[in-house]
Amino acid sequence: MGYLKDERPQTMMVEGDWQVGAYRYKAPRLLEEYTQALKRKKIIGSLCLGCGKVIVPPRNICGRCHQRMTGRQEVSPIGTITSFVISPPVVKGKYKLFGLDPVDTGALKEGEVMVPVFVRLDGSDSNIACLLFNADPQKVFIGMRVKAVWASELKGAMSDLDGVEPLENR
Amino acid sequence: METKPDVITVNGIPIVVANFNWSVGFQMEKFLKALATKKILAAKCPECGYIYVPARNRCGKCSAKMEEKDLVEISGKGTLVSYTLAYVALDGKGNWTDLEKPKIIGAIKLNEANSTIFMPLEEIDYPNLKIGMLMEPAWNSETKGGWKDLKYMKPAKA
Amino acid sequence: MLRNTAIIGCGQTKHTSKRRDVSVAELVAEATYAALEDAGITMKDVGCVVSGNMQGFGGVAQPDLWIGDWMGCPGKPAIRIATGGTTGGSVAHGALYAVASGMFDLAIGVAWEKHSDSKEAGATTGLMHVGMANLFHALPYGLSLKNLIATTAVGAAAGVAVYQARFYMHRSGATIEHLDMVAAKDRRNAAKNIYAHLQWPNCQPEDIAKTEMIAYPFRYGHVCPASDGASCIVVASEKLAKKLCKQPAWLLGLASYSDEENQLQSENYGGVGVLDPCEQMGARISAKKAYSMAGITDPQKEIDLAEIYQPFPSQEMFFAERLGLFDDGTAWRYLEKGETDINGSLPTDLSGGVNATNAIGSSALQRVLECALQIQGKAGEHQASRKVRKAIAHGWGGVTNYITVTVLGDTPR
Repeated sequence: MGYLKDERPQTMMVEGDWQVGAYRYKAPRLLEEYTQALKRKKIIGSLCLGCGKVIVPPRNICGRCHQRMTGRQEVSPIGTITSFVISPPVVKGKYKLFGLDPVDTGALKEGEVMVPVFVRLDGSDSNIACLLFNADPQKVFIGMRVKAVWASELKGAMSDLDGVEPLENR
Repeated sequence: METKPDVITVNGIPIVVANFNWSVGFQMEKFLKALATKKILAAKCPECGYIYVPARNRCGKCSAKMEEKDLVEISGKGTLVSYTLAYVALDGKGNWTDLEKPKIIGAIKLNEANSTIFMPLEEIDYPNLKIGMLMEPAWNSETKGGWKDLKYMKPAKA
Repeated sequence: MLRNTAIIGCGQTKHTSKRRDVSVAELVAEATYAALEDAGITMKDVGCVVSGNMQGFGGVAQPDLWIGDWMGCPGKPAIRIATGGTTGGSVAHGALYAVASGMFDLAIGVAWEKHSDSKEAGATTGLMHVGMANLFHALPYGLSLKNLIATTAVGAAAGVAVYQARFYMHRSGATIEHLDMVAAKDRRNAAKNIYAHLQWPNCQPEDIAKTEMIAYPFRYGHVCPASDGASCIVVASEKLAKKLCKQPAWLLGLASYSDEENQLQSENYGGVGVLDPCEQMGARISAKKAYSMAGITDPQKEIDLAEIYQPFPSQEMFFAERLGLFDDGTAWRYLEKGETDINGSLPTDLSGGVNATNAIGSSALQRVLECALQIQGKAGEHQASRKVRKAIAHGWGGVTNYITVTVLGDTPR
């Protein structure tokens, strides 16, 4: 490529590390409520009694009017794709997360094409980020209607809501 | 019925570690390499005469540049101006350990430089420490050209 | 109201991917003393020092304490500001507030980033601090590893910017060819800027289109680098500016607006109420505030040059629209006509912008610095063809929710 080069001499380096994983902090119990509802195939978001926004997954404080989101509102498992990304086929050895290769961990298959999507479930005012299954990547478009895909075994975990798939499945 | 508290404790995941390798620049590189030969290099400002340990390339007092020609060798002997005793140590992962014997950390104002350095003190028991004592460097038998070459400071024999 | 304030000196270091010839303190001193020399003053004259870089990047938790005397802090008040990607913009505002408020007559704003001190590539190490808390919270609740990797790592090269680009292309009709054009223009311009990082003389859109795709619509050739570098501005009161500088860059207006995050997840893995990440309400509102302060009623006619914070080429287009420089959805038409080029009607990012040089802490300060250079006529080879009377500098960052806007001009308010 036509970039101009600028190489500088190197001086000695001193090594060190930060144990980012050593933190222990306090968080609200909101996700526990959310995951227990997922076990019953219900997606429940937090509702702001000030401005009426419904946010999924739930949060404590409304981002717009700064009130506590004390309300709860169930949202539909059907929604619309608002944005999407088509990853190129997964290549082993290309990316590492915390020193682990995703293909080695079994989480992804070599050659797999993933479509992470933003979905706005009917009744909510936020996007959830998840994967789109059972769809031809070339036929995905903004505005496509999708429905939730549930895990085969519901455990009361985030993974119970596995992803979404097109509403009209051929 | 026991009600659960509103908050939960979230633990970090130990494999998440951020690794660094800090470049030191030319003056500090010379300083660290000189430690391998059991020498301490200071940098003397050509404008205001302030002498820094470790060596650096800009004077903090008058902003003048300092270069290789401004490096001077010093003996490392200094005067004890303060000290403290550490009874616990950290393991770098958020945990404390109690020390059997307290560790002495001293502030030593170097005699041939303006800087005061902080070093562990050994070969002396803390009841015998006196402010104003003359201290000198104790080197590691195997030096590699880095901080650990200068192992600790000990009382000097005038 | 605020008293008149101007930028009278600018200093930068050469930005590269690895400035391993210097420690971070030495890097910052390079830029600081270059700015002082440019302004014709010494550190003794400076009233206060405002500094900043991304919190935690480069592995130094409190760098301002270490490099304080490399920036001339001893004996002066010194404040550190860290607001993510807008750090540089906030540092500029801090220095401008210090003088405009009447508290000081001379202040300096210094910002920097040294990515090469991290072992992991680019900004990965720093981003670990930003992204980890939410993930630690969700993992015990059974977030699947596949979902985690898919939604973060796949877009990790760009994060929300990929989704943002998709939204913009859907709303406005821009295509990937426009992204190629913007990236090529930025690298071409950077070749004329002696301090920039990715310099590709005469880069053409076809050269960018040949690079590999990361995640549609972003190619490797579209993405900003991770640079090591520092920049510094010297801010002076009206009296001193008129005495010391032939053509100061006067502050006409500034504003900053923090919005709700529009990243994938918010506090404790909760959702975010912003549905369209390219809407950037913060940019619209800060631009309006800054223009009203500057007395500008028609930015499309009155602004001569823009330095937009655009690590990704899609942002150069939609931020220009949100800042009121083009009507919504039309920026790509002006790009096609060459209006954003060096001899166009609204030259944009003639320094190459963040797309060609990204030392994160300093990037937003460089936008202010470049506008100042253009107004002073000191931009060298990348000086705009038209006379720059009013320019706008923009910063974007935080968890994609911070915006800073600064409007500079060639005559005081």
